[in-house]
Amino acid sequence: MARMKFYCDAERCIECNGCVTACKNENEVPWGVNRRRVVTIKDGEPGERSLSVACMHCSDAPCAAVCPVDCFYTTEDGVVLHDKDICIGCGYCFYACPFGAPQFPADGAFATRGKMDKCTFCAGGPQQDNSAEEHRKYGSNRLAEGKLPLCAEICSTKALLAGDADVLSEIYRKRIINRGASVLSRGISYQNATLRAPSGLSGKATSKE
Amino acid sequence: MQLTEMSCRPSVAPVSFPLCGIALFFILVFWMIPGSPVNAAEMSVPNPGTDLWRDVRQRSADDMPAATPGIDLWKEMQLRYEGQTPLTGTTQVAGVESGHLINSIGDQWRRFRMEMLVPFGGYVLMGMLAFVVLFYLIRGRVPIQAGASDKVLFRYSLYERTIHWTIASTFLLQAFTGLIMMFGRSYLIPVIGHEGFSTLASLSIDLHNILGPVFLFALVLVFIKFLRRNIYQKGDLTWLLRGGGVIGKKHVPSNFFNMGEKSMFWLLVFVGGTIAISGLIMLFPSFGQGRVIMGLSHVAHGITAVAMTAVVIGHIYIGTVGMEGALEGMKTGYCDLHWAREHHDWWAQRCEDDGKAIHRKDIPSAGSKKASPGLTTGQTAENTAE
Repeated sequence: MARMKFYCDAERCIECNGCVTACKNENEVPWGVNRRRVVTIKDGEPGERSLSVACMHCSDAPCAAVCPVDCFYTTEDGVVLHDKDICIGCGYCFYACPFGAPQFPADGAFATRGKMDKCTFCAGGPQQDNSAEEHRKYGSNRLAEGKLPLCAEICSTKALLAGDADVLSEIYRKRIINRGASVLSRGISYQNATLRAPSGLSGKATSKE
Repeated sequence: MQLTEMSCRPSVAPVSFPLCGIALFFILVFWMIPGSPVNAAEMSVPNPGTDLWRDVRQRSADDMPAATPGIDLWKEMQLRYEGQTPLTGTTQVAGVESGHLINSIGDQWRRFRMEMLVPFGGYVLMGMLAFVVLFYLIRGRVPIQAGASDKVLFRYSLYERTIHWTIASTFLLQAFTGLIMMFGRSYLIPVIGHEGFSTLASLSIDLHNILGPVFLFALVLVFIKFLRRNIYQKGDLTWLLRGGGVIGKKHVPSNFFNMGEKSMFWLLVFVGGTIAISGLIMLFPSFGQGRVIMGLSHVAHGITAVAMTAVVIGHIYIGTVGMEGALEGMKTGYCDLHWAREHHDWWAQRCEDDGKAIHRKDIPSAGSKKASPGLTTGQTAENTAE
């Protein structure tokens, strides 16, 4: 089976937040909850990089390890999902997660935690695929329709990729090789390249398939 | 190119040995002749990239622009992750720590809970239970040696008993619900299933959270009410050194509260206070505290709660089955005179000197509103504690 992963290419991400908006709209997530966010490191400084972060669907998920009610499960595609009917909103997954993926809608009289909400890789939840109940609790189930997560599909620079880890790593490998070839053949790095190539240089760094 | 292909494929028709020898001879001869085509730098090998690769090899690593220029950033991130400093950026998404790219304390917290708190917490509590049972089997119930007296001393007022039982019941319910959430996944899910346990855990966490502020409130009341009688005084060290009378046959004299009870009070104040405050930090995530603070709060909450539960197991043992007459004071407000003489003799002596020992039949019945001797003697109980 495929092992689904997200991959965000920091050399390509332009911090447009299209993925965040697409996710929010597609999954109709509760107020105050964003399943995905774009973090910019060194904002405004040389070497600035942006990354789109959501649940990374870990192979050994810390959230699943610490959950006191054992509400997490991993699908055949390697997507880490949880059952909101089981979740008690204790927040342990939030403490354990390296990526800040679990989100809690402010619920109840004292704005304590509601049931946890996180990225589902657009794969819904334990209910019947694309049922109304599943959509209400977990949002869209695009995987069941044979589509990939909308955040990655909508990414304008194809910085955010989603899909089988083997395919993603192959794409990334090609990108790295092309960037390396660009450095070698032109003696300039990707970082130093200007938006418009100087007229003295010839050739293209990206390969055409 | 052709040569390497041939040498790689044995299936190609083998070149005869003499032919090879002649070729080798000529190569060696040509090599020795300066300026021969074999030695020429401009040898027309069909590999136009050679110069480039040579150039690359000669360039030092510092001059080489990295293929992934962000690599230094990721290295820094890795170092900071291992050094437990979160790498913070900016983000458009509002929320607590949404700018933290990686939560550096999460994995440590996970290891603490799963590999230390849950197993060792279980060992400590089971060990304490086993110790209490063993202690009972060896030592047995501590009797009132002079037998039950027909006279009693007023010990706890209704208010004192109320706050005691409030804090006792909230603590026990919280300990019980906490244990359900701590060990339920291992022991209850296999028995009652995921849905059943989820309902139980949901009720448990709600009860646990609602009782949290009640516990803290009761703790403050207990602290104010019992503080004066729990200040350590002369004689407490002797009590401690003789293990409260366990070491040696003779009873160790003490005041209204003995050294053990005083220690229980201070444990309740400090350890119980830590439990309550760390719990409140986790209970209200809306004040913007981050995962580092909440993770550390959970560590403090877990350790102190297990320790306090173990202490309370001992407290309950000695207050009920462990000692005859110990429960009476906290149940009815009056304690047996002989029990008081044997366990709190300084206090009992003062009460008797003041003529406060009353006959059992003079105890006002519960709920009677006349004269309220409970209240007046209640004040004296505290005054005599000095």
